[in-house]
Amino acid sequence: MSETISDPGPDLKPIVSPAGMNWRLLIVAVALALALLVSFLATRYSAYRNVQENFYGQALVPAKEAFDFRLVDQNGKPFRLSQLHGKAVLFSFGFTHCPNVCPTTLSDLAKVYRALPEAVRQKVQVLFVSVDPRRDQPAVMQKYVPYFDESFIGLTGTEPQIAEAAKAYGAFYEISRNDGENPDNYSVNHSALTYLITPSGKWKLIYNFDQLHDAKNMVRDIEQVLAES
Amino acid sequence: MHRPVLLALFSLCVSSQLNFADNAVIKVERAWIQAVPQVSDTTAAYMRIINLSGSPLKLTSASSPAAKTVEPMITTRKTQGGQEIMGMQSVNELVIPAGGSLELKPGGDHLMIMGLNVHPREGELIKLTLRFAPGDQKFDLEVPVSKEEPK
Repeated sequence: MSETISDPGPDLKPIVSPAGMNWRLLIVAVALALALLVSFLATRYSAYRNVQENFYGQALVPAKEAFDFRLVDQNGKPFRLSQLHGKAVLFSFGFTHCPNVCPTTLSDLAKVYRALPEAVRQKVQVLFVSVDPRRDQPAVMQKYVPYFDESFIGLTGTEPQIAEAAKAYGAFYEISRNDGENPDNYSVNHSALTYLITPSGKWKLIYNFDQLHDAKNMVRDIEQVLAES
Repeated sequence: MHRPVLLALFSLCVSSQLNFADNAVIKVERAWIQAVPQVSDTTAAYMRIINLSGSPLKLTSASSPAAKTVEPMITTRKTQGGQEIMGMQSVNELVIPAGGSLELKPGGDHLMIMGLNVHPREGELIKLTLRFAPGDQKFDLEVPVSKEEPK
């Protein structure tokens, strides 16, 4: 007995069983997921490399939304960070009775600012925030901060306002007394970092005290931040 | 003005020597005082103090007719919550090792000048007297006021 050719036979069965179909789908899905993962990692890695290689300051990855502090400027007017939207902002915390760290920070920042091309300076604002509101009234800030560069703005405020701003940027300060005789005779220990905020209001970079001295690298960072925005 | 003359004038301002029995013991170089706004009554003096003698010297105190007090200070640095906190502390003495030097610089050891009674203007010279132990060796110098570390 011979087989009839009309017999569909096993050859005409679907080549891939329903179970096999699932395997294919699974492979495609896994491949797609892998491709996505690889491209995601590549993007992150290149962002990481970019930051690692090109910024002189310590970069926050990813950049954080900059806390929009409410303080008082050197003219006694309310001042918020968001007023400077569109400009790169460099600021640090300090106090005017500070003999060493603060004048050095401000004079280094003045040197950096003056090393920027004129057109770039228009897009940069330097601020100095007091952590000693008891002695640093707006009038005092007015006489102190612009001395280093007339474009610099001094900020002060109530104790809670300053505490809130400092906390948001992880800054620390404490009153340090050498003698208890004069209530106005004290020093303030404080973190001496400078923060860079991008024109779109992102907190992107941190500089330690010693880094500010290298104006060339500071200028490069500022120009790069402005170019990226 | 000729360059050598300028250089000589410059070194007159920034370098002085203290001689005991015709032997230079202390040499001070690159001295400067940070110019500060008039509203501020505190500033700092920076310099390099070189001990040319064979035994250690201690900078114990300083004074100036321009201010109430001048004190040797160290800068303290500690890390808290990932941030470096800078502060300062008055010390009784700063040691200059035999044949070595002491660097007083921004962000480091310095002479804190408190209670300024005349405002030091950029370019002016401020009289400063340093005192060293052992003994009470006095060392007078005139220090230029500058907005930034002189080159």
